[in-house]
Amino acid sequence: MPMRSFICLLLLLLALPARARGGTEVIPPTPSPHYIIDEAHVLSAATVQSIDGQLQQVERDTSNQIVVAIYPKMESNDDIAAYGVRVFQAWHIGQKAKNNGVVLLVFIQDRKMNITTGYGLEGALPDATAQQIIENELKPHFKNNDYDGGIQAGVNAILAATRGEYKGSGQTWLDYRSTIIPGLVVLLFVLLFVASMVRGIYGTTYASNGRVPSWVIPFILLSSMTSSGRGGGGFGGGGGGTGGGFSGGGGSTGGGGASGSW
Amino acid sequence: MKTKWIILAVIGAFVLIVLVAVIGGYNSLVGKSQAVDSQWAQVQNVYQRRADLIPNLVSTVAGAANFEKSTLVEVTDARASVGRVTIDASHAPEDAAKLEEFQKSQGQLGSALSRLLVVSEQYPQLRATANFQTLQAQLEGTENRISVERGRFNDTVRVYDISIHQFPAALFAGMFGFRDKPYFTAIPQAQTAPTVNFPAFNK
Repeated sequence: MPMRSFICLLLLLLALPARARGGTEVIPPTPSPHYIIDEAHVLSAATVQSIDGQLQQVERDTSNQIVVAIYPKMESNDDIAAYGVRVFQAWHIGQKAKNNGVVLLVFIQDRKMNITTGYGLEGALPDATAQQIIENELKPHFKNNDYDGGIQAGVNAILAATRGEYKGSGQTWLDYRSTIIPGLVVLLFVLLFVASMVRGIYGTTYASNGRVPSWVIPFILLSSMTSSGRGGGGFGGGGGGTGGGFSGGGGSTGGGGASGSW
Repeated sequence: MKTKWIILAVIGAFVLIVLVAVIGGYNSLVGKSQAVDSQWAQVQNVYQRRADLIPNLVSTVAGAANFEKSTLVEVTDARASVGRVTIDASHAPEDAAKLEEFQKSQGQLGSALSRLLVVSEQYPQLRATANFQTLQAQLEGTENRISVERGRFNDTVRVYDISIHQFPAALFAGMFGFRDKPYFTAIPQAQTAPTVNFPAFNK
């Protein structure tokens, strides 16, 4: 346990410079496990809930991670497209190796929005399509202060464009993680049990030979397993590396997408 | 007799340690230099993407009734001069002047393009066409990609440049031909180029 807290501290220290970079810029914490966050409170609770469920189902069906984030103001002096890229990276949107993520950022007071596309969805959602979604779906509703309708129309259009690009596994990344960790715990107990049996039979001979005591074996096995599973990280854990965000990988974008204002 | 062997063993161990350090340092520099080259290829990619959009853009715009010819000519000229700057796409330039020349020609193309888009605001009929809107979105996206990849290129060069000046690599980096690689700099032209965000378009 002290080792673990030490690692946490180390990760935290590593995350600090990333946060401080860019002076006044603030990258908000990841909305994971939710797919939609409305810090500006412009959406109805029902819309937030239904879109969250819709996008979760989309990840199960297609493995695409589509995230909608609405804030009152952009905490940066940079261009919205450049900011979108950094948010996308910090949140690790898209699955590992596929980079199949899209983030729709909306800043209400700035009246600005941006769609950033991960490398894996550039083909399905090219810049021109992203631009059309902004112009034809989001903007008309936003101009009438109909944020519920605009976000729903925008999400539907993004889903229509990106459907069929990848096949889902029936699970979201978080589903996967929440099944694998209890699974590992069960495995640990099974291994401990087996090891204690083995120890009952051979334990003394191993010990007298100076070999590794048998009760250590499950820990070795487990540590090798969790270290491969650790790519997932905890969400909200900290910026850098494979830490926080939506999945064990992803976050790669070349700046594809489009921006607009209303 | 015995002390002689001890001294030899110490010298041997020292040589071995130095050798291991040099080999390790050399390999890490090769890796970092390779990272710069591959990022350079990425930069070339996105610039090429922009260059590839131009023929289509020019033909679309030229189709518009009496479109101002001088801006079109400017774009095609800039596109041609970009083609004249021969630069190795697989290796990042070692020569700062070479990179500057490349950057200057690309910067001219960037500003010619943004002027073209500004001028196009006077042609509402042109702007209303789906073809033009698509091209404009692609162009904007490409400018974003250029700034993203340039930023990443500078980051990888920075890592490389720092590591060749760090001890102990600094002792042998020059010997093996590892030299500072130049960065992209924000020249005034380049700074104006990527902002292809048009207030009129967003009205």
